[in-house]
Amino acid sequence: MSTRSMTNLQDSVAYKIIDRYKKLIIAFLLIVFLFVIGEFTVETFLTLGQVLLTLKLASFIALFALCQMVAIAGGGTGLDLSVGYMATITAVFTAAIMDGRNSYLWIAVLVALGLGIAVGLVNGLLTAYLKLPPLVVTLAMANILQGVINVYTAGKNITGRPSPVLRIIAAKSTGIFPNIVFLLIVITPIVMIIMYKTKLGLKLFGSGANETAAYLSGVNVKMVRCFSYVISSTLASLIGLLLLGNMGIAFKDMGSNYVMPSIAAVVVGGVSLAGGDGNYIGVILGAIFLQTLTNLLVALGWGDDGKWIGFGIVLFALLILYLSNRRKR
Amino acid sequence: MNGTVKVLEATGIRKHFGGVIALSNANLVCRSGRISGLLGANGSGKSTMSKIITGVYSADAGEIRYNGKPVKYKSPNEARQDGIAMVFQNLSLVADLNVWQNIVLGEEENKGLFLNNRTAMEHSREIVDQLLPGLDIRKMVHELNPGEMQIVEIAKAISENPKLLILDEPTAALEQAQVKSLFDTMRALVKKGVAIIFTSHRLWEAMEICDDVVVFRNGENVAGIDFTRDGKDPEKIIGHITGETQKSKVEKKGRTVSDEVVLRIQNLNYGRFLKSISFKLRKGEILGIGGLAGQGQHELMLALAGNYPGATCDAELNGKKIKLTRPAHAIRNSILLVPGDRQLEGLFLTHSLFTNIIFPKLGLKHQPLFTPRKKYREECQGVIDALSIVTHNMDMPVNSLSGGNQQKVIVGKWLSFDTNVLLLADPAKGVDVGAKRDLYDYIVGQVKKNKMSVILYASDNEELIQYCDRLMIMYEGQVVATLEGEDINDETIVTTSMRVR
Amino acid sequence: MNRKNNAGASALKRFVSNHDFPRLLILIAMFALTAVMQKNFFAIKSIVRNINSFTPLILLTMGQAVVIISGGLDLSVGSALSLLTCVATSVMREGLPITGAYALVVTFAVAIVIGLINGIGIGFFRVPPLIVTFATSYIWLGIALFLRPTPGGETVDWFQMFYKIRNIEGAPAALKAFGEIIPPALVLVLLGCLVWWVVSKTKTGRYIYAVGSNSESAYVTGINTSWVQIKACLINSVFIFLAALFFVGQNGSGDARMGDPLTLKAIAAVVVGGIALTGGRGSVYYALVGALIFSFVSKIIFFANIPNAFQTLFSGVIIIVAIAGSQMYTLSSRKEMEESKLT
Repeated sequence: MSTRSMTNLQDSVAYKIIDRYKKLIIAFLLIVFLFVIGEFTVETFLTLGQVLLTLKLASFIALFALCQMVAIAGGGTGLDLSVGYMATITAVFTAAIMDGRNSYLWIAVLVALGLGIAVGLVNGLLTAYLKLPPLVVTLAMANILQGVINVYTAGKNITGRPSPVLRIIAAKSTGIFPNIVFLLIVITPIVMIIMYKTKLGLKLFGSGANETAAYLSGVNVKMVRCFSYVISSTLASLIGLLLLGNMGIAFKDMGSNYVMPSIAAVVVGGVSLAGGDGNYIGVILGAIFLQTLTNLLVALGWGDDGKWIGFGIVLFALLILYLSNRRKR
Repeated sequence: MNGTVKVLEATGIRKHFGGVIALSNANLVCRSGRISGLLGANGSGKSTMSKIITGVYSADAGEIRYNGKPVKYKSPNEARQDGIAMVFQNLSLVADLNVWQNIVLGEEENKGLFLNNRTAMEHSREIVDQLLPGLDIRKMVHELNPGEMQIVEIAKAISENPKLLILDEPTAALEQAQVKSLFDTMRALVKKGVAIIFTSHRLWEAMEICDDVVVFRNGENVAGIDFTRDGKDPEKIIGHITGETQKSKVEKKGRTVSDEVVLRIQNLNYGRFLKSISFKLRKGEILGIGGLAGQGQHELMLALAGNYPGATCDAELNGKKIKLTRPAHAIRNSILLVPGDRQLEGLFLTHSLFTNIIFPKLGLKHQPLFTPRKKYREECQGVIDALSIVTHNMDMPVNSLSGGNQQKVIVGKWLSFDTNVLLLADPAKGVDVGAKRDLYDYIVGQVKKNKMSVILYASDNEELIQYCDRLMIMYEGQVVATLEGEDINDETIVTTSMRVR
Repeated sequence: MNRKNNAGASALKRFVSNHDFPRLLILIAMFALTAVMQKNFFAIKSIVRNINSFTPLILLTMGQAVVIISGGLDLSVGSALSLLTCVATSVMREGLPITGAYALVVTFAVAIVIGLINGIGIGFFRVPPLIVTFATSYIWLGIALFLRPTPGGETVDWFQMFYKIRNIEGAPAALKAFGEIIPPALVLVLLGCLVWWVVSKTKTGRYIYAVGSNSESAYVTGINTSWVQIKACLINSVFIFLAALFFVGQNGSGDARMGDPLTLKAIAAVVVGGIALTGGRGSVYYALVGALIFSFVSKIIFFANIPNAFQTLFSGVIIIVAIAGSQMYTLSSRKEMEESKLT
């Protein structure tokens, strides 16, 4: 008798909806939890200014995390560790091109696109067609990009400044609200639409969810995966422009610190690392969570070392929570 | 030695998977020093029985006594501790170790601090020489052919000196000579008092090696024949396997098959799975593929669906030559496959019904960038209605559906296509009676209405008998018989499937 | 007498037809090329210097190979190495030789803990190894930065025995002379080889291959796969420990960032050494060969007078080429095997 009522409960629509959005709810609760801790331990943690600043910084993480989401969604242990240096290299090159002038912005954008597509193609071909592990390929690519930057900047300073338009988008605020957050808000529904309502998005998810089923349905899985890397790198490249706009100058380690948080945000957001699904809202929440965590650690006086330890432990714990694959006996 | 010791006694075993009852009232007795055979058609429950005994599955009801004391194993490991060894199909070999390392895997002896490889090799050589003399025990397992791998699996089970040895279809991958060696080894073991359970589809094998057989049908044992006492009567055994009951009236009224050939296949070859297969499929025909499980039927379906780039054949669709080396080729020619293993090959489990059902449309040419939402949703609803899929709404994830309904989704994916040839790879496997009927009603309806042609592989002979116009029986990758009309009945099917030497 | 010869001949035949053998030839080619390009290649001083510069990568590669063969992967080796150097130099106090002994014990303990944590994540919780070690690498980094925000720390004099015995005052002359010819680094490498040799002859060694090849089969056979993977991570820790000893001996300081570039190189060297990233196959000794090939190629680039700035770039390109090449070679031989199975 009791088993019957249990199954009835599990069948109820409400239960199913909660289950589906379970990870989003957890992510949201985690953020709230952090703010509560912050408020109790540190004065002035929960102020409007702080929250907005957190959102602004988190936006950058969320944008990088979008690149990861695309690479991961296609399946095959997809991952893109080259996004950091991709952004950096674009920032470095386009800074010189623009040098503070709006009129050269469009050239900068073209260059960014070109670089992104080129790098993405290499990543995509090596992983999808040659079947090299994405981890190693993108890590090596990051190394190569870093090398190119080293060559370019050997002995001389990085010059150039972003065009004012970029500065406005990336660094400035409208009233109290940071513009980049607006950008994120605008991008999010576009992303969701593309991923869930277009042919390409569905093919991508299909390839990640069940490679065989997708293949049998006529999807060219290799091409789709290759394409996902092109998108990832191109996005990262464009984010480089935004980074430049935010910082005002380009420097060698601009982007590399974003790689780890971008992956962490994806995990916290409940997106499966095996591919096949991807709720961007969850990822954004994940980014906010990570940024809040950083702020908290800094406010508590922990500094660089504490930040990494905190990150590492939290990620480790979440991985075990979400990805543990203990054998069912 | 005619043992009187009951090594194993299983009574009243029940087991269900989802809505399907695999065993309803199974009983078995094994005595030391005897070889008991388990016989039965596909899905009769004999394999499930073995797996319950060894702890791979747990029974819903019933009792198992081992050497007199009741046991309930939770894993094969526990059963092994008690001296029960089982051999399935290549479940426990490690490809990157060699033969002798695999045989002693998990049971290695030490000499001081280090592994004692010398005794391991000697021990392994002894066993292997009995089973397959001449096999180099230093060969890596991934270098072996399937027959040799099966032998190594068997050697591994034997090396632990079990008291009860269960061999589940051990001869499926073996050649004649290897089977003979296996039987010799089994006889030697039995002399030492070991009890053996042996299942095979090949009736003559069971008759040769077993002391007694138990026949399973529909989840229970319907007959127990002691060969030493009752003698060997193959006709009678086949009768038990197939059952004497009259099958329900065969549905073929109202369907005419034209003479027009829709699909002609010549000389289809794929490695060792498919050998020189040729046939013609006529418009409006339902062509069945039968035979014992694992004879290449599944591979034939996949090959026709373009899944194997390495397969070669001459294929003509409506008189036009076509290639079948990529799934896209098949799909664009409207040769559509409903895959057999729904979870592995057919569905995106965490995605919605809607996504799953409209997914194949994405592969067609001239598809818009944005999926035409409204139009697709209407079509999806149409599919749900046509197949009576039970669900709250089309946005629920498919893993919330029952097995039968999931199967309907897989079929439903292709419904809105203009199908030339529909390839059904066991569409109703593990599906309850009601859903099965809905599925077939729909399919037959399509055949009548649109003159769709169907190639149907079913592991349940009843489905083949009910619906097929012609039936090809496969054995070891070849078509060994094509039955028509009156010949499509249980007895002929079983006979042609099993009797071939 | 004849039987012995035959056994020897067939063993040799098996060694040569082993599919890893071509790598040995490549190694010899690289060796020769470097010898040509580097002046005084065969001078004792050069040899010693080369051995010293190759050793860290060799040790890390061998440890990584063990983890990869068991079906795992360790992205945290670089930061683990850095952490160990920071730990050692934080425990030691200059002028107090006993602290050197403490340092050895504490550093080894930390190495074990590192291995345990990684092993539990990979083996027990079965989280995808690359992600979980990605996470732990930041934990090690953070702790290292905590101990040593900037490179520094103290060592005791005798700790240099892991690098250059000559520099230790009061060391016996014979030992010093020995250290000139056989550098301590070489001893460390041999020690590592010895550790693996012992392990490979025990159940654990075989189980590492079994679990890496097919962990389901291993599990069904009753092997405790979690424990085996944890042990593989612990063995890796031993190698990292040895590498840390070398670095502390050489530099006399700890640095939280020094290990960063080595992680990727170690993984690449493992692949070059013929070990499949999917696990179950390959020889740890050939991982050593892979590390050597890698190191010689780096040296060749160095002596080809490529400007400093280009070195990182080249190293990245080489990694991709090496892995691509190795993968294609492995794929093609696997494909032959698959095709022969079909017939």
